[in-house]
Amino acid sequence: MTQTPKVVGFICDWSVDLIPLSDGGRLRALPNVRVVRVPCSGFVRPEWLEDALNRGADGVFVTGCPYGDCLNREGNFLMRDRIDQLQRRLQRRKVDPARLGMLAFGLHDGAAFLAEVKAFADRIAVLPPAQPARTAGRPAVAQPAGTPEGDRT
Amino acid sequence: MSTVVERQIPGRYARLMTSLLRGTLRLDVWVNRLYPTDFNPLYYTGGLSNLFLFTLVLSGIFLFFYYDASLGEAFASVQYITDGVPYGGIVRGVHRYAADGFIVGILLHLLRNWFTDRHLFARDNPWISGMFLLLFGGFIGFTGYQLVWDERAQLLTSMFVAMLRSIPAAGATLTRLFIGGLGISDGTLVRILFLHIGPATALYAFLWWHYVRLRHPKIWPPGVWVLFCVGLVFLLAGAVPVTREAIPAATPAARPTSFPMDIFFLIPFWLLNFLPAGVVVLLLVSLFVGGLVIPYLSRRETPTEMGVRHSGVAQVIDGNCTGCELCYYDCPYNAIVMVPSPGPGLSKAAANRSLLAVVIESRCVECGICIGACPFEALELPKFLERDVLRQVAEAVQA
Repeated sequence: MTQTPKVVGFICDWSVDLIPLSDGGRLRALPNVRVVRVPCSGFVRPEWLEDALNRGADGVFVTGCPYGDCLNREGNFLMRDRIDQLQRRLQRRKVDPARLGMLAFGLHDGAAFLAEVKAFADRIAVLPPAQPARTAGRPAVAQPAGTPEGDRT
Repeated sequence: MSTVVERQIPGRYARLMTSLLRGTLRLDVWVNRLYPTDFNPLYYTGGLSNLFLFTLVLSGIFLFFYYDASLGEAFASVQYITDGVPYGGIVRGVHRYAADGFIVGILLHLLRNWFTDRHLFARDNPWISGMFLLLFGGFIGFTGYQLVWDERAQLLTSMFVAMLRSIPAAGATLTRLFIGGLGISDGTLVRILFLHIGPATALYAFLWWHYVRLRHPKIWPPGVWVLFCVGLVFLLAGAVPVTREAIPAATPAARPTSFPMDIFFLIPFWLLNFLPAGVVVLLLVSLFVGGLVIPYLSRRETPTEMGVRHSGVAQVIDGNCTGCELCYYDCPYNAIVMVPSPGPGLSKAAANRSLLAVVIESRCVECGICIGACPFEALELPKFLERDVLRQVAEAVQA
């Protein structure tokens, strides 16, 4: 039972306007939520989400523009699909899919965005604590020490 | 420092555009309450225009079979389509109302993409081709009104000739080219018919230009909107027949002075009530040229002023690329092409590749979607490296 879950959010530059909402990389209203700004929600690699969970975050979400209105046309649809796939993949490792989220909000939907993030964090707060983290950070697949760069899988 | 100061005191244009953007997004939020976002018609203005264009082409082909382009027969053949041909009046109405829908659709499309800054930077090609589509669409609508050859057509022709004549130096030649000789004759209607169908064909050439960098262009709106719009056009054509205006046929003796207005196509001719022909021509030309320079001259254009960071064109890391084509499928701008690999990659996964991804720099908008698509760490935005994102993630988790 985590009281204040540690949440990391990847926020698209073109979706919610973070200037009035955030302060030094965290949301003012929800200080347990850290935000990383990205040029488009489609820029996020699913393995970064996995990496954040491995490093000890309790939940990770990505925020893009409203579906159908992505500035780069398809970024949020692609990201929604990738998160669906990642949720299925992580479920096999007994990671609850609720720990991964895809949100979609426009530039001026700050209030709705905060409400949704709060709901996301509350869903995570009642989950049983996560499995002991795997090896922190990448690589997720253990590499034998001293493997030359070229032979990495 | 200077950029910060400039951002605090934005110009009047920037402030206007900011409020228009806010209004557009607020409208979106409101419409999204009514529909699921996948069905928001404002997200499909381009697809709706294309749907209307397709309707226009089909109904136009039908009308073309019956139309007779000569001074004596044109009006009679249109009457015959309306009264003699089964459902001819409906098809005529569909052609008319779909044209109005087309113009409304492309104007909404234009305003939306203007207000949401989707015409800037690397996206000027769709804007420029769109301005040509608008120009040609308006001109096609005008020649369509002439083809009926009633008194309105007659008056429109004389007004258009007056506008052409007012162009300095080239006016007389243009007039002769347009009406096909010194006076209006059978040749005139043949030319107008060509000027109706020729530019309509050219619309598809411009559409190719419009779509050329789009990987999955939203060409059609969702199915329910297709049914709704086609149904609406048919309903209008049946409920409000185009013949209700009952304009008599054009005759050389007639001297018409007024006609029922169509606000979508005939506004320049309405302006002739107040302004001399030369001024209207000048106004139209400056509107068109002004439209063409919007992406280049607006004050909001520089990235620093818009608060956009410049992340640089995506770069392929040759050694890691496995030629899996994932980035190629996901790039929304067709900016990635797969070429035969000149040699094996360095990583184990890339050792047996047969293809290599190459970024076409002129098409890249630096959105980074290919980075998210690549599971092999073979793509990077030069000023927004994966390393930096991971460092931010690590700091966020440890903080």
